[in-house]
Amino acid sequence: MSMWLVIAPLLLMLVSGLFIMLVDAFAKERAELALVTSVAIAVAGAISLGVLVQGGAPADMPEVLTRYLASDPFAHFFDVAICAGASLSVLLAGGYLREHGLERGEFYVLVLFSCFGAMILARAIDLLSLFVGLETMSLGVYAMIAFRRTSARAVEGAMKYFLLGSFAAAILLFGSALLYAGTGHTDFVGIGEMIASGDAENRLVLVGMLMVVVGLAFKVSAVPFHMWTPDAYEGAVTPATTFMSVSVKAAAFAVFVRVCMVALGDESVMTASGWPTAIAGLAVLTMVYGNVAAIVQKSIKRMLAYSSIAHAGYVMVGLVAAAEIGAPAISAVLFYLLAYTVSNALAFGSLVVMGSRGKEAVHYDDLRGVGRRHPMAALPFVIGVLSLMGFPPTAGFFGKYYVFNAAVQAGDVWLAIVGVLASAVGAYYYLRVIVVMFMQEPEEDQVLAVPMKSGYVATALAASGAAVMALGMMPGWFLDVAIEAARQLLG
Amino acid sequence: MEIGLGEYLALASLLFGIGATGFLTRRNALIQLMSIEIMLNSVNVVLVAVNRFHPENHAGQIFSFFVIAVAAAEAAVGLAILIALYRLKKTIETDKADVLRH
Repeated sequence: MSMWLVIAPLLLMLVSGLFIMLVDAFAKERAELALVTSVAIAVAGAISLGVLVQGGAPADMPEVLTRYLASDPFAHFFDVAICAGASLSVLLAGGYLREHGLERGEFYVLVLFSCFGAMILARAIDLLSLFVGLETMSLGVYAMIAFRRTSARAVEGAMKYFLLGSFAAAILLFGSALLYAGTGHTDFVGIGEMIASGDAENRLVLVGMLMVVVGLAFKVSAVPFHMWTPDAYEGAVTPATTFMSVSVKAAAFAVFVRVCMVALGDESVMTASGWPTAIAGLAVLTMVYGNVAAIVQKSIKRMLAYSSIAHAGYVMVGLVAAAEIGAPAISAVLFYLLAYTVSNALAFGSLVVMGSRGKEAVHYDDLRGVGRRHPMAALPFVIGVLSLMGFPPTAGFFGKYYVFNAAVQAGDVWLAIVGVLASAVGAYYYLRVIVVMFMQEPEEDQVLAVPMKSGYVATALAASGAAVMALGMMPGWFLDVAIEAARQLLG
Repeated sequence: MEIGLGEYLALASLLFGIGATGFLTRRNALIQLMSIEIMLNSVNVVLVAVNRFHPENHAGQIFSFFVIAVAAAEAAVGLAILIALYRLKKTIETDKADVLRH
């Protein structure tokens, strides 16, 4: 396999980012930047999918690349999830920004560069590339949240995320430096070998490990490090929220898994005082708090923000199980993240389609009776929330099934029970969307949400809806790919 | 007295603690940004110090250059957000930014 094919997705992001920046500066007419951007990202994802399916011997890469970036099936799998999420977000942005009079080209540039950072993060096998990828991704996202700069909500959400995100990055970085101090290595494999051979300075490694876990928990918005999430998600324009909740989260989990399994995969740090216990605690808090807090929200966007917090908890259950049983649990995590990406993109896309200019759907009440007035616009929302809820035969059902199954196999039965109970609580607020849309009538003199019409948004909804159903109808194929990727990660 | 890794780590932890305390106690976003810079520089101290004791490659020193560069980029984006906030609210006190809570 050619080296160029393997790094083509990364190059494509960079080149198209620069290209769009130029076109946006010089184009006088309204250019279809959303179309170009989403096609570029989709092509990058397709290349990675091709490499992933084709398999074969790893490409011959120069040392400067292999030292910092992996090009294994694990990375390509996450490329697919990240690119799917980013491409759908851009399609949504194409409709949303025009409808709300915000059409400016820099949004697409920010998505492309941020997506580049996310892909670097998914490939990171060194603390250096971890840090640079994380910051490249985050800096784009900070700017993306503040995109509607005349809105106090947007700028405030951006400021909160920026301050807390930078604080978390500093903690993560100090932890990385301590890991380096404890082992003398910055590459994950080297750190893992030093820990396994017993030559590492254990106290430094332990403190470093905790700080790295805290820093990453911030990025995946695990409770109690989630404070920024609802504000940032609510303040941002909805397509940016979509990107944050799917691509950014997937990339953060990619590196979370890699750090835990490769650098900290030795048994001596997976004991009672190691990371599995810490992450199990975080997972329980995240699942319970995320679901309970989502119930009391009045704004649908905030509800989806808390729901995405809860989903981070389910993924962490898989990560805890991976400490015990390895590859099967990691493949469950991979499948879950892919399923969550398309389901959440579908749910946020439905929220986008529910609002034309000045008549945006914000609260549950705004959706009253929409299902009867505009059944075609309501249908994606139904599929999206059912999949997030974990209703068969959608993608979300198999995602939850594999993750909880992995937890049971690993002997963490109590964790699986908490997870199932928490998702039962979650069913309440997901079903409430459907109840409001189909079984309630609007009050007199209420401003009604009117669905918008846009080819971009319709395409995004059709694509993500099809992906949700495809993952639900034939989960086996995707799971096989995920298992292969997980096996090669563990070597 | 020979200065070993422990002394460097103590200095770095002290700097990191000062930065973290500043970030958590102050409410002025600019001061918080400066506190984060102190935290990042404490990391640089660790990286460069460790490199002295593990001179096989220059991983630590190279890493610290990246930290400096990324910190500059972060400050650029952060200050832009703060200016946008100041234009809207005429303040950068973080506890006055509270529309999202209502």
